Amino acid sequence: MKRKKEEKKEIAITVKDLHIRYRSLKKFSIKKSFLKLKTNKMEIFEALKGVSFEVEKGKILGIVGKNGSGKSTLLRSIAGIFSPDKGKIDLHGNTISLLSIGVGFQPALTGYENIFLSGMLLGFSEEQIRAKLNDIIDFSELGDFIYSPVKTYSSGMYSKLAFSITAILETDIMLIDEVLSVGDIQFKAKSYAKMKELIDDTNRTVVIVSHSIETLRELCDVILWLHDGEIKMCGDVDEVLDKYTEFMELDVQKKEEAKKKEEEEVKKAIKKQTEKSS
Amino acid sequence: MKKFIYNMQKYWNYSVYAAKAELKAEVANSYLNWLWWILDPIAFMITYTVMVEVVFGTSEPYFPVFVFIGLTCWNYFNTCISGSVKLVSANKAIVTKVYVPKYILLLVKSLKNLFKMMISWALVIVLMLFFKVPFHWTILYWFLIIPVLFVVTFGISTILLHFGIFVEDLFNVTNIVLKLVFYLSGVFYSIGKRIKGPVKVLLLKCNPIAFLMDQSRNILLYGKAPSFRWLILWFIVGCLLSWIGVTVIHKYENSYAKVI
Repeated sequence: MKRKKEEKKEIAITVKDLHIRYRSLKKFSIKKSFLKLKTNKMEIFEALKGVSFEVEKGKILGIVGKNGSGKSTLLRSIAGIFSPDKGKIDLHGNTISLLSIGVGFQPALTGYENIFLSGMLLGFSEEQIRAKLNDIIDFSELGDFIYSPVKTYSSGMYSKLAFSITAILETDIMLIDEVLSVGDIQFKAKSYAKMKELIDDTNRTVVIVSHSIETLRELCDVILWLHDGEIKMCGDVDEVLDKYTEFMELDVQKKEEAKKKEEEEVKKAIKKQTEKSS
Repeated sequence: MKKFIYNMQKYWNYSVYAAKAELKAEVANSYLNWLWWILDPIAFMITYTVMVEVVFGTSEPYFPVFVFIGLTCWNYFNTCISGSVKLVSANKAIVTKVYVPKYILLLVKSLKNLFKMMISWALVIVLMLFFKVPFHWTILYWFLIIPVLFVVTFGISTILLHFGIFVEDLFNVTNIVLKLVFYLSGVFYSIGKRIKGPVKVLLLKCNPIAFLMDQSRNILLYGKAPSFRWLILWFIVGCLLSWIGVTVIHKYENSYAKVI
C-alpha cells in the first residue's frame, strides 16, 4: 500500500495552513514596562495567513510576489529558522539547507578553516566536508588564498568562497532566496551553470524565491504566487507568471494614475489659492 | 531531554571546532597572542595583592596564590554569564540564516572559556611551586569541583540567554549584579575569616561561586576535604537550572529570530 503511494507521487515538502506572526512590540525594556504596566498592547503583524501547499520530490518550485508578501518568511520557516504559530511543515525526513552566503564565518581565520566551520554549522560532519574539500577549493578559484585569513579577501573572493561551500555541500532540499549572482562575469556564468546542475538533479527538491521572471520561467516546474501572506495562485509556470506580470503592470499603472490624480488636486488647490490672493 | 542529547551529539563536533576557531581568532588579533591569557590574570593578581596587603594591611597565607585561585574561578563565571545575555543577538548572522539549537552557541562559549580557565589552573600549580605551598593529596578533589562549576554556570547562562533576548536592558542589570557578586564572593579576602555570624554561612554556601572558590582554596592550599553535601547540592541545582533553561530554549528558540 505504502509502496504504491511512493511510486505514484513522493512528496518532499508539505506545508499545511501555515501562519506566521511577528509581534512588533515584543522587545521591551524594564523602564518602559514599569512606566506603562497596564497598556501592554502588542501589534501583531501576520506575515503568512494560512498557506498550504505540497512540493513533489525532484520538482522545482518558484515563489513570486511583491516585496513584503511573505516570500522570505515562508522560506525561512521551511528551513526551520522560524517556528509556525499555527499549522504544520513536514519535510518527510529530507535534509534541508537555505542557500545563504557565509554563515558562521570567522574573519580572522583562513578560508580553509572557515570551510569546516561553515559546513559543520550547516550540519555536515567533518569527514563529509573533507571528502568534498578539494571540490570546494577548486570551484572557489581561490588557489593559495584559501590559506589566508578571510578578512583579507576582497568582497568578490569572499562571496565566491561562500557560494562554493553551500553549492558543493548538497542537501535533499535546497532553498534559494534570490538566485545568487556573485563574482565577475565568468564566475557568475559558472555559478549559474552549477546552480542549474544542482537544480536539474531529479532527486533534489528546490524552492526558489526570485523577482526575475525569466529565471523562474527557465528553471521552475511549478509557480506559487504569494500576495499579502496568502496564496493568490499556484500552478503551471506560464499561466501564473503571465497573470503575475499582468497584475504587476496593472499595479504600476494604478499607482501612476493615483499619483497623477494627486498632482492634479495639488495644482487645483494652488490655483484656487492664487486666485483668492489676487 | 531526548532532543537535548540528540542535539548534543549532532553539534558536539561543531562546538569544539567553533570554540577552537574562536580561540585562534582571538590569538590572531593581538600582538602578544596567547600570552595575554597568562598575563591578564597575573596582572590582576598583582593589583589585588598590592591593594589588599599595602592599602588594607591584611593578608592570608600564600596570598598571591589565594587571589589567583579566586580570579581563576571568577573569570570563568563572569565571562560566561555576562556573555550569555547578548549571545543570540551577537550571533545574529548565524541565527537568522540557519537553525542551530541556541544553547550550542552557549556551549561554544563555555568550551572556549573552559580552555582559558585550564591555562589559569595550570598557572595555579606553577604559582604553588613558586611560593612553596605544600602539596596535599586533597588536590585530587579538584576534579569534582570543576564539573560543578561548569554545570552551575551553564544553567544560569541558559536562563539569562533566554531572557536577554526579550528584555533589552537585562545586560545592564546583570553587569551590576555581577559586580556586587564579585565583591561578595571573596576573591581577594577570606569570607570565612572576615565575616561573622549567619551572614557568613549565607555568603559562603548560598553563593555558588563563593562556595566553589572557597572549596578550591581548601583543597589546594589548606589540605581540607570539600563539603560533599553542599557540592552535591549545588551540582543538583546546576542540573536543574540547565534543565529549565534548555526546556525553555527548546520551547521558544524559533521565535528568537523574529525578535532580534
